[in-house]
Amino acid sequence: MAEDKFDRGTALTIFGTDRHEDMVALILSLVIALLVYLYV
Amino acid sequence: MVYTKRTPWTLIMGLIMVAYAYLVQSGALEAVIKYLGTGRNAGEMVMLGYIFGGIAVLTGLWQLIAKTAEGHVDYYLSTIGGVTFIMLIAFIVKWGLDPQMAEWGKAAQPALGFNFAGVMNLNYVVMGILAGIVIVNVFKVPDWAANGVRLSRLGLKTGVILLGTLYSFAELAQLGQLSVALIGVFVLGSVGLVLWWGSRKNLPNSMTGVLSAGVGVCGVSAAVAAAPVVQAKSTEIAYTIGTILMFGVICMFVFPIVGKALGMGYITFGAWAGTGILNSAQVAGAALAFQPNGIETLKVAEIFNITRVLFLPIIVIWLAIWYVKREVGAQKVDIGQVLISKFPLFVLGFLMLFLLSSTGIFAPARHYQGAYFDNSDKVMIKKDRSGKEVNNYLKDPDLAVLKQEGEKVKRDDQKAALQRLVENKKLMSIDDDDTLRGVVNAKIMSKEGNAVLTKAHRAVRHTAAKIAMFRDLIAWFFTFGLVGLGMQITMASIRQAGGQPLVIGSVVGVIKAVGSLIVVMLLVHETI
Repeated sequence: MAEDKFDRGTALTIFGTDRHEDMVALILSLVIALLVYLYV
Repeated sequence: MVYTKRTPWTLIMGLIMVAYAYLVQSGALEAVIKYLGTGRNAGEMVMLGYIFGGIAVLTGLWQLIAKTAEGHVDYYLSTIGGVTFIMLIAFIVKWGLDPQMAEWGKAAQPALGFNFAGVMNLNYVVMGILAGIVIVNVFKVPDWAANGVRLSRLGLKTGVILLGTLYSFAELAQLGQLSVALIGVFVLGSVGLVLWWGSRKNLPNSMTGVLSAGVGVCGVSAAVAAAPVVQAKSTEIAYTIGTILMFGVICMFVFPIVGKALGMGYITFGAWAGTGILNSAQVAGAALAFQPNGIETLKVAEIFNITRVLFLPIIVIWLAIWYVKREVGAQKVDIGQVLISKFPLFVLGFLMLFLLSSTGIFAPARHYQGAYFDNSDKVMIKKDRSGKEVNNYLKDPDLAVLKQEGEKVKRDDQKAALQRLVENKKLMSIDDDDTLRGVVNAKIMSKEGNAVLTKAHRAVRHTAAKIAMFRDLIAWFFTFGLVGLGMQITMASIRQAGGQPLVIGSVVGVIKAVGSLIVVMLLVHETI
């Protein structure tokens, strides 16, 4: 069903794999942590 | 495939957000904000309104004007409409429905005899998920928002990683052993129970295997991670996810009600939710529903939840061996390879930020949940925004009240702490502070006396600004993720949780929930 609607990722995520999603979450979190560390 | 839809809605939502931020900033909505009691969120309303509204306006214009072509730019920019949609619902729920429901709950209390908003946990978390469920099942998620909704799990994972900043070694050392023991018993126990029962009922090994991981470890992610190990079919994964989500949704609503009815504290409830609820997102939902205005319950629940996730590799190995043994002629599974490829990286991210936080870069290393003790002159004598000096030492009238009421204090340790406070005009140690908090809680002194002690307490207890910022960010990431999660709970996915997998999953889930409730009530205390 998901495959019909999206040709990338699944119905639950836009990323191709869980590992890819984890990696994006990791990078996003580290960037946020760096910004908070520097500016707050 | 081109994902960008030529819709005016992204632009319209962006304009609404910017207009709202402007109205708050200009003071035009002061009466409404005062009525709802959301004044402390005004800064947040302005900042988030301009940021998300601005991005949505620019993207909305681009969607209407530019020619789109298949590719990465089209794909990733097409998520912004959905993200804006979720955030708009989160704004309405958090800054409108939530405080309004609290007001209605209070207003109806005399007639009903109880505060229905409090009892039913009708806060922004629950209402956000409900809003998502209503939208997907009654109105359907618009096509232009579908890609953004698929980012909700990313929001939850980012929130979990950032949660690492709130922990320090001292805290985990207190909860660590208990969480490992509790989780170990219940995770391994429920996996074993599902495997045994599924075999007795002659369910396919792949179905039983994937269901056991889902019910035992961390819900949807575990089911998906375990699927290749037991070579599960997509329909079996769908059945398992349907079962987990349906059971989890019920738990998310029932757990906070039971917790409040039993008078559980933040730590006991967090431990129970983290152990008994199947899916990570719903653990967060239940914890936030139990304590919507703080994060202590969520933190404890997440420690247990993370401990549970850490059991995934053990379960994966167990299932691999179990499956290979049962399936004669099943393809050989490379256990090492499965471990390396399936271990959730976001858990490593959580651990990384936890280690960084423990070094003291976000708050003094001795901080406890971002709060720390400091009675140096640097913080006792400060300058306010206008540059005027503010002295936080106790003044003569304060000391007179304490001297006058000192006789009411009978315990030696309390007397000594009070004596030191009077002599130094400030609290001299964490122990003294804790001891005198006991005096306040026991209402030994008059209202005036307690007010002076509380003033002295506030002068030496501080919350790290960085940790406070992390708390706000985490709450928003979870709100975003949970509203999006609600939009993925369709009646079809709930109906899929039928038949024997539903029965086995639900019974084992209930056993786990009730068993962990009993054990938590017996073993876990509000000691930290």
